[in-house]
Amino acid sequence: MSLLPTTRGPREAAAPSARLGPQPGEVIDRRRSIPFTWNGEPHTAHPGDTITSALAAAGVRVFARSYKYHRPRGLLTADYLDPGAFLQVGDEPNVRGAHRLVEAGMAVSSQNTWPSLRYDLKAVNQLAGRFLATGFYYKTFIKPEPLWPLYEKVLRRFVHAGAITPERGAAVYDHRHAHPDVVVAGGGPAGMAAAVAAARAGASVMLVEENHQLGGHLRWGDAADLTALAELRARVAAEPGIEVLLDSVVTGRYDDNWVGIAQRDLPGVTERLIKARAKTLIVAPGLIERPYVFAGNDLPGVMLSTAVRRLINLYAVRPGRRAVVMSANPEGDLAVADLERAGVEVAAVLDARDRKGVVRAHGRGGLRAVETNEGRRIEADLLVTATGWTAPTSLLNQSGDRPIYDPRSARFVPDPARMPENVLAAGEVVGDAGVEAIVEHAEAVGREAARRAGRIARAWRAATPAPADTTDPSDDDPVTIPSLAPQPHPELFAAGTGGFVDFCEDVSAKDITTAVAEGYDSVELVKRYTTVTMGPTQGKLETVNAVALVAAATGRSIAETGTTTWRPVYSPVTLGALAGRPHEPVRYSPMQSWHERHGATPLVAGQWIRPEHYGDPAAEVRAVRTGVGIIDVTPIGKLDLQGPDVPQLLNLLYVNKWSKLGIGRVRYGVMCAEDGVVMDDGVTGRLGEDHYLMSTTSSGAATVWEWVENWLQTAHPDWRVHVTPVTTAYASINVAGPRSRELLARLTDVDLSADAFGYMNVRTGAVAGVPDCVLWRIGFTGELSYEIHVPASYGLHVWERLMAHGADLGVQPFGVEAQRILRLEKGHFIVGQDTDGLTQGFTAGIDGLIKLDKADFVGLPELAWQRERDEHPHLVGLRPVDGSVVPPEASQILDRSGGIAGRVTSSRMSPTLGRAIGLAQIDRELAAVGTRVTVRLPDGRDITAEVTDTVHVDPEGERQRV
Amino acid sequence: MSDTPIARGPVAVSPATVRDGWEVDARVATGTLTLSDESPLAKVHVRAPFDGASRAALGVGFGRTARADLGTGEVLVVGSGPGEWLVLGAPNTAGALRAAIEERLAGTGEFTTVLDLTHGRGLLRLTGREAATVLGGVCAIDFGDAVTPDGTALRSSLAAVVTDIVRDDQGGTPSYLLHVERSSGQYLADALLDPGRPSGLEVTGFRGLA
Amino acid sequence: MMLLPCPWCGPRNSTEFRYVGEAGPRPDPATVTPEQWRRYLYVHANPCGPVRETWYHRAGCRRYLSVERDTATNDVRSAVDTASAAAASSAPGDAR
Repeated sequence: MSLLPTTRGPREAAAPSARLGPQPGEVIDRRRSIPFTWNGEPHTAHPGDTITSALAAAGVRVFARSYKYHRPRGLLTADYLDPGAFLQVGDEPNVRGAHRLVEAGMAVSSQNTWPSLRYDLKAVNQLAGRFLATGFYYKTFIKPEPLWPLYEKVLRRFVHAGAITPERGAAVYDHRHAHPDVVVAGGGPAGMAAAVAAARAGASVMLVEENHQLGGHLRWGDAADLTALAELRARVAAEPGIEVLLDSVVTGRYDDNWVGIAQRDLPGVTERLIKARAKTLIVAPGLIERPYVFAGNDLPGVMLSTAVRRLINLYAVRPGRRAVVMSANPEGDLAVADLERAGVEVAAVLDARDRKGVVRAHGRGGLRAVETNEGRRIEADLLVTATGWTAPTSLLNQSGDRPIYDPRSARFVPDPARMPENVLAAGEVVGDAGVEAIVEHAEAVGREAARRAGRIARAWRAATPAPADTTDPSDDDPVTIPSLAPQPHPELFAAGTGGFVDFCEDVSAKDITTAVAEGYDSVELVKRYTTVTMGPTQGKLETVNAVALVAAATGRSIAETGTTTWRPVYSPVTLGALAGRPHEPVRYSPMQSWHERHGATPLVAGQWIRPEHYGDPAAEVRAVRTGVGIIDVTPIGKLDLQGPDVPQLLNLLYVNKWSKLGIGRVRYGVMCAEDGVVMDDGVTGRLGEDHYLMSTTSSGAATVWEWVENWLQTAHPDWRVHVTPVTTAYASINVAGPRSRELLARLTDVDLSADAFGYMNVRTGAVAGVPDCVLWRIGFTGELSYEIHVPASYGLHVWERLMAHGADLGVQPFGVEAQRILRLEKGHFIVGQDTDGLTQGFTAGIDGLIKLDKADFVGLPELAWQRERDEHPHLVGLRPVDGSVVPPEASQILDRSGGIAGRVTSSRMSPTLGRAIGLAQIDRELAAVGTRVTVRLPDGRDITAEVTDTVHVDPEGERQRV
Repeated sequence: MSDTPIARGPVAVSPATVRDGWEVDARVATGTLTLSDESPLAKVHVRAPFDGASRAALGVGFGRTARADLGTGEVLVVGSGPGEWLVLGAPNTAGALRAAIEERLAGTGEFTTVLDLTHGRGLLRLTGREAATVLGGVCAIDFGDAVTPDGTALRSSLAAVVTDIVRDDQGGTPSYLLHVERSSGQYLADALLDPGRPSGLEVTGFRGLA
Repeated sequence: MMLLPCPWCGPRNSTEFRYVGEAGPRPDPATVTPEQWRRYLYVHANPCGPVRETWYHRAGCRRYLSVERDTATNDVRSAVDTASAAAASSAPGDAR
């Protein structure tokens, strides 16, 4: 076999199979074969094979090109973390090829390769090293600024990541809330033992394992390990209180043990985010084997000892033919035994405990020879390193722990003193010993986690109202946890010959020392400057080596150098899983089905779906001005106010006076915030002695309710007022137009005559046979109109009766657009349309309403000062001189020197006047009626317009008072 | 089209049938996990001091429920908030129920308000052994028996809608009444049916309080 | 996501609440100067440490709560209804 790494091209003979005979711990099902393709070529796998194990069995050794320099990369860890195996599967990019199981029909391809994996043109980057100097983002692309878009295009072509499709895929994402007593992060021997012990102590447990099977390193161990594994798995299976989540990962630990779990083992769901409020969290992630830094350490064929043991024992794949092994620990020695058993010729074992080691790997596109620190050069296609372990303390760091560097074991270890009560650690992240010691320790941790969970659960239940039975007979004496110490290990990080530190980001040892030489001497700065640890593996393989190199370059110790911050998420999670199912609440009025049946164009207004119009808004306007129209105004906010102190409340919240509102009367009011800015408006009617109905804007309904409650609960808890939101308790229908009285009279026994039921009055009565309706006589449209509030269940009934009984009157349904035109013709402002977050009361033109002589109301001081300054803009009417031009809303109004003096806040073509009309906020110097101003349209054209009174139609208001 | 008023709940029905003046869904589910629109039930809202004579008169405090007869037949009294109660009764009894409650509270001398919100709120019932699983997809509350046993009342966010959640088991089967602003009723039903489909959630017609 | 210990509902996710703001007294509108009023509107202590603030349990009991929280650790020392005697505040925290 050629030592040149290759993906099988059509002209090449098939590489001989690297599949071994059956292995005791293998996870593949040899009875079945499933087809898939790799860069278009047909391949087969056994169920249980990962993409790379199936390809490695077929002799494939190169899976990807690296990020910056497009160097060929092969397997390094042969698990989820493998930086050499990010692949494209169908339309899904960045799939972890050494983790994802093959499925029938999968189309797998390499990423970051053009035109092909074999002939990657971008590998010229290797020759253009200066272009990608340390900190190249900062040095190369900082200036000149106008070239940034060009830089971006150039960079895009060179960075990795696969292709995403703009179409919405078939992927399904979901959320689930969970409330386990104990979450165990990691399903190795410690995790399994802790979960079983916690479940036996009565706790509900979620056991979360990143791999496709429980067992951790026992899975690729010897016969004794496999026996222990079978025993532990049986114990887990026997506990109904344990929910096992495979191919799932704890993504982060947040405040109060809110634990995110990305679950990927659900049929029919691509990824589900479980939001677990864990009473206690056991962190049992095991250890991650650390790569060794030396020249050529990224050549395909250079692997970690755990990688070759996974390939041989789990997937029955021979990882090479002739190997050199550098071992500093017993696991490395076991790899030697595994290799020999698998028929790999072990050319040399370099015992790092005797200071033997590798200094260089040679080869082009794949390993050919290894150079030792004794000057030997050994031909080999496989170099295995076993030089140390990293404790993935990420979840502990997120819980407040700051791991300490332990030079004796050459790794950072957790500091139990800094861990909160609800987080515990078990297994090798704490210390390593034989399986028995690990299990014994983990069982104690599991029992203690269950005990603490019970205590936390009791405290939570005691804090909830009307608690259920809180006597929980669990033992409250702390469990004694045996000590578990890390085993001694030589400190081995780098050979001093260069090589890669971060395989994802292509950061070399030289990049680190250069960064330090340039003054970036803190590990956090080096990280940001070189991007070391910022790739998809997020430092799990790289951090400690980077820290060691920074320490060496600065002359400080590793402990002094410290480590970078490990933040959530622990492992990448899809945006789909974060989003889950879309939950965007929408609200419907009881008449929605009628609107749909009658061709209404829907308008999304906040949460509400409303009819914008039924085809011709101008015709709807004319119907209201000449006959009668009805509009669904259900979203108008409505608050039921009861109690003797309601007048005090109204006086406090509205700028106008309320003490003398009689029963049966309605009054318009405006609310300002404490900064004097208009926040809402509406009418409030007095239905009875202590009973009022307040209306608010549709968009302000929820805000005003919370506002009212805030003032009542916080400032005036002594006031006797009960506020109940009844916005959707009523279907609200405005019957408007000169013939509205005639129509409504056909359906109600309420006396509608002008004398009995005058303008700005309220009555209650039956409409269309429905009792308890509230009728206001008010006029947003400027016509004679009645706003009827019908108990919502009968809304559709009343609406249909109005349409049926008004047929001969030409009754016409009208939508939001016609209403906006009608009110604009009348000059009524809309809060949030004609006012904004800076519009104080006197700008809105409600001067007559604001009663500065009241002792107090919300916003009083600011409004008094606003009037005193008298320099505010004004809300005015505006008419373009050319009445056929409607200046779009937000068109700027220019002052005489061309500066901005205001803007058009509302504008429409008025069907009643046959010309364009508008409202505008304008500086006071230009606000006098009759002033001619220049309006700049969005297309850059200037037009002339005249300032007018705000009321464009029926300025005397006679039409609404008839 | 008749001139006799007909009442409708917030959730679209298909096919429809009329019961007691209410248009309700005619479907009858055969499965073990069901969702029904119970909006025709009378819903009377009570406000009174959190822990006074009114609470004693209503027989239950915040967070719990009780069955009672206030003179209009069996009702479910729900302690729905601090100083807030929700009384559920048979369809078309709201007027009588409101009067009965007002009479009962009149003697307390406390500041109280009794409001008929029958038409202002939507009321769904989710019943079945898997009901808590469906709720767990859209709500952060722990629906385990230890925390939320039968007879619990609470308010929380359900699929981003503020909802009164009342556990009211039916013959030993977990069952939850979900009480929302009427305009959110259709959305909430949809938001439960979608994630409930894998568990076999079916729509069934109005069941009533019994 | 932090839990807030609602005195009415028990511990709940903080997303059920609306953060209202630091609690403080409302100046007397009759005598206040612009300087004092704008201090009330816009100036907050924003300490790294304990602070008394108002939260509204909008998806729960719908009560305004006076919460003493350590902004450095999110530890809540006390949470009471603003209407109760223990919360001697006289102004809504988000009056702007």
